Amino acid sequence: MHSLCGAFGWTPAVHQQAKESVILPRKKAWSKEAVLETLASTLNRDSTAYPYQFQDDPYLSPRTATEFKLYSLAQDSGRSAARYFVNNHPKFFTKDFAEPHIPCLMPETVSLLLEEVSEEALKERITLRKVTAAVDMYDQLLQTGTAVSMETTHELLDLICLYCDRNPVQEGEAGAEEEKEGRRMTSRRGADVPRLSWTENNNAERIFYLLPERDTRCYSAVIRGMVKHGAYAKAFSVYSDMLNNRTPGDVHIFNALISAAPEVRDGYSERWDLISELLNHMKQQEIHPNLLTFNSVLKSLRQCGSLARSYSPQTLNEMKALGIAPSLASYDHILAVFYKSVSSGPSNSDVLQNLMTELEGQSFTCVDPDDVLFFSSAMKVCLDNKDLELGYRVQSLVEVGENWRLLGDSVQLSIYYGRFFNLLCMMEDVDVVLRWYKQMVPSLYYPNAQGMKHLLQALDTDGRLDLLPDIWTDMKTLGLYNRADLLEQLLGLMAGEEHSPELQEAFAVCALDVKSVFEEKAGLEWSASSLSHVTTLLLRASKAQQAWDMLKLFKAHNRIPSEALLNSFLSVCQRDGASERAVELVQLSAAFCLTSTSGLASRALAEFDLNQEQRLVLAGLEAAAGPPSD
Amino acid sequence: MKVEVTNKRKLKSLKTKSESATNYAPKPSAIESTFSMFQKATAADTSSESGTLEPDLVAAASAAAATLPNSRQAESELLQQLRRRKDLTEAQKKGNDLGDIIADMKVGKKFSRQNSWPSNQIRFDEDGQGYTHDRGIASELASVRKRKKLFPSKRLNIFSPVTDKDTAESALTKPTLWDIAFVNELSFSTNQMPRNVLEEMIQWTKEGKLWEYPINNESGLEEEVGISFTEHVFLEKHLEEGFPRQGPVRHFMELVVAGLSRNPYLTVQQKKEHISWFRDYFHQKAEVLNEADVCLS
Repeated sequence: MHSLCGAFGWTPAVHQQAKESVILPRKKAWSKEAVLETLASTLNRDSTAYPYQFQDDPYLSPRTATEFKLYSLAQDSGRSAARYFVNNHPKFFTKDFAEPHIPCLMPETVSLLLEEVSEEALKERITLRKVTAAVDMYDQLLQTGTAVSMETTHELLDLICLYCDRNPVQEGEAGAEEEKEGRRMTSRRGADVPRLSWTENNNAERIFYLLPERDTRCYSAVIRGMVKHGAYAKAFSVYSDMLNNRTPGDVHIFNALISAAPEVRDGYSERWDLISELLNHMKQQEIHPNLLTFNSVLKSLRQCGSLARSYSPQTLNEMKALGIAPSLASYDHILAVFYKSVSSGPSNSDVLQNLMTELEGQSFTCVDPDDVLFFSSAMKVCLDNKDLELGYRVQSLVEVGENWRLLGDSVQLSIYYGRFFNLLCMMEDVDVVLRWYKQMVPSLYYPNAQGMKHLLQALDTDGRLDLLPDIWTDMKTLGLYNRADLLEQLLGLMAGEEHSPELQEAFAVCALDVKSVFEEKAGLEWSASSLSHVTTLLLRASKAQQAWDMLKLFKAHNRIPSEALLNSFLSVCQRDGASERAVELVQLSAAFCLTSTSGLASRALAEFDLNQEQRLVLAGLEAAAGPPSD
Repeated sequence: MKVEVTNKRKLKSLKTKSESATNYAPKPSAIESTFSMFQKATAADTSSESGTLEPDLVAAASAAAATLPNSRQAESELLQQLRRRKDLTEAQKKGNDLGDIIADMKVGKKFSRQNSWPSNQIRFDEDGQGYTHDRGIASELASVRKRKKLFPSKRLNIFSPVTDKDTAESALTKPTLWDIAFVNELSFSTNQMPRNVLEEMIQWTKEGKLWEYPINNESGLEEEVGISFTEHVFLEKHLEEGFPRQGPVRHFMELVVAGLSRNPYLTVQQKKEHISWFRDYFHQKAEVLNEADVCLS
């Protein structure tokens, strides 16, 4: 036995342990997505690929920001069209092949089934969000004298107040999806519910006042609805009603009233007094505040002027003392308070520095719709203070876990990355800028004209003008050739100085490309500087004929070529020995009535070997233009 | 079924969240490390005690979310909200002493929770007590950072830390239309698109459109798991009563039973119903059989 142990390399100790009881570890229970999540954690973002939802047909990959929006809207509208068909024509979708059964692919009920006057029918209408039908059913129930349970009444009031007494736009109806998406794209607020205004004596108020007894939830629904749809003063009067009836409130009522406080008072201190009064009422009624309460306080403090600077930190500390973790929205309000406007003097970035230290490495989820504004405000602060390191810290917070989801919709995303890129172009080395450029564009960020200008400036500062032709191809892909000022900047950079022959050749190709863009796109006006830049570039690359065509364009667009341009043209002509061209040049200059005509003429006479005819012409021009200006 | 598993997942993600909530603190202290570990332990305790939400609440949440266009995200958000409220109230229940500790303490640097997450998943299940203290004091001390306070620590002093239990009820009510609209707004404002095919598959699994990995051939057939094959195959015992022991009827029924025993598509209940239908049928047709001289004993 022992020899065997020795043979297998077991020590006596191990052999001992084998005699002891084996403790089986408890079975691990994995969630149903555990395998997929592990696999997904091995993948990083591919910066050269289009976003995943577009990886289908290469023709349909978005190359500009507008295409991105358009294609996302198209995808969503396709999905909702499919849902519409499935739900509205269930008779075509009866076969169920899937085993096990997949409930979410089955048609849903969208039309009313119950027609008789009953509470069940009312509940059905509420569930299907049919506001007018529900109100009608409720009225019918009241007329027949049937009592409606409090629960259903609460839900009815909730429904009416949420949708401001109008039917919500159902999915699949014409224009609904674009509206919803359009709202999603342009404004994050109330994507489901548009900004309607609360009409006088609408059904909500009527039903509310008809109720024999009004409890907290009824008041809550009405006050929240009024605040949501703009009837702020009314909300406060209903609130004082509630106080007079000694009905207890709830946290949602106070949240709504606090956010409405700046609308009903005009002075900063009156607003703050109202807010603190509401908070004290909450305390008296022993209603516990939640995160949204404090976020509304901070949001309303933004409109309280200088009081905000003292009270916002106190609110934040209050939150912490109560054990409520501030969300990104709270921090966004703090930033707005402390970095009010650019004109408020040189503000230091201390607040943001300390904030970033606290937030470092944390993972956030969206708990307040305003959370998505935090990152773009933070980046704005970094940009205004030209603080690159802080910008990097903000960016590293974005890269933690799933925080990138909190960058919001495509508008917010482009604002954030635009500011970040701007900061980089201003402060960083061009190599780093280009590295970020490759990572971000176009997978995360489609630069607009402003962003491109910053990039061009950065290239200019660091003398990497050799990259300009590549940037020009990028600009064409991004659809940025509609901006004459951007094109002018590009041309100006290219024409600034002399470069190596290959580069000049590349620049000339670019210049011709730009010229064709100008010619094709209606609404793009040539400016004198653009024309002269193109001409200069062509001259430098020895494309004399095309440069000559450019000069004709000057006349066509009523622009005046500069003296320097004509002189350099003359030098090129002299190099090429094109004396005919030189004469034409001077004649052109005369046609423009330029003061430099006589100078040019004398130069031509001196430097070229011309025949008699040409000499006469030139002499005439020289004389006609008068004495050369000194 | 789908809903419960969602809960479990949310429990794990919320555990880390409730920790960061209770860990939030503004000032250094010499005994910070032990305190924060103590905090982590109590926070983990509270979240482990909170367990799953009531099933009817959860069912109400999923029914409510089903009315929304973006219902899967909305549902997970709703459930998350409910859990968060519940966890928060329970954290606040024990809040008094924690509140004082928080007021005296400072936020240490947060380690990246992502790296520690997978190991936490396992450890959580092993003994159900959340974190074991193997992070070590050394790492805690190493993370203490000296810096100025963010803001002076004056507070509004309007509210006091919550100690009583009546907040518990407010967290357990059915989600109202307002909650659903709020959750909908949240899901619209963030970017929920999947970044790669695996994330898309995760979304589909949550919606119920995709088989769960690792593939279980018998998913959807849970009730059959408990029924042994003998009940499917040995069906003669149902022929004991109501049928004659000999004769053409018996012969016929034996053939029926032989066929049923080879049928993999019917449940046991359906097979029994099949046989009892035949029993009733032959009882009804007793006169016809008598005329044909078939004995029915």
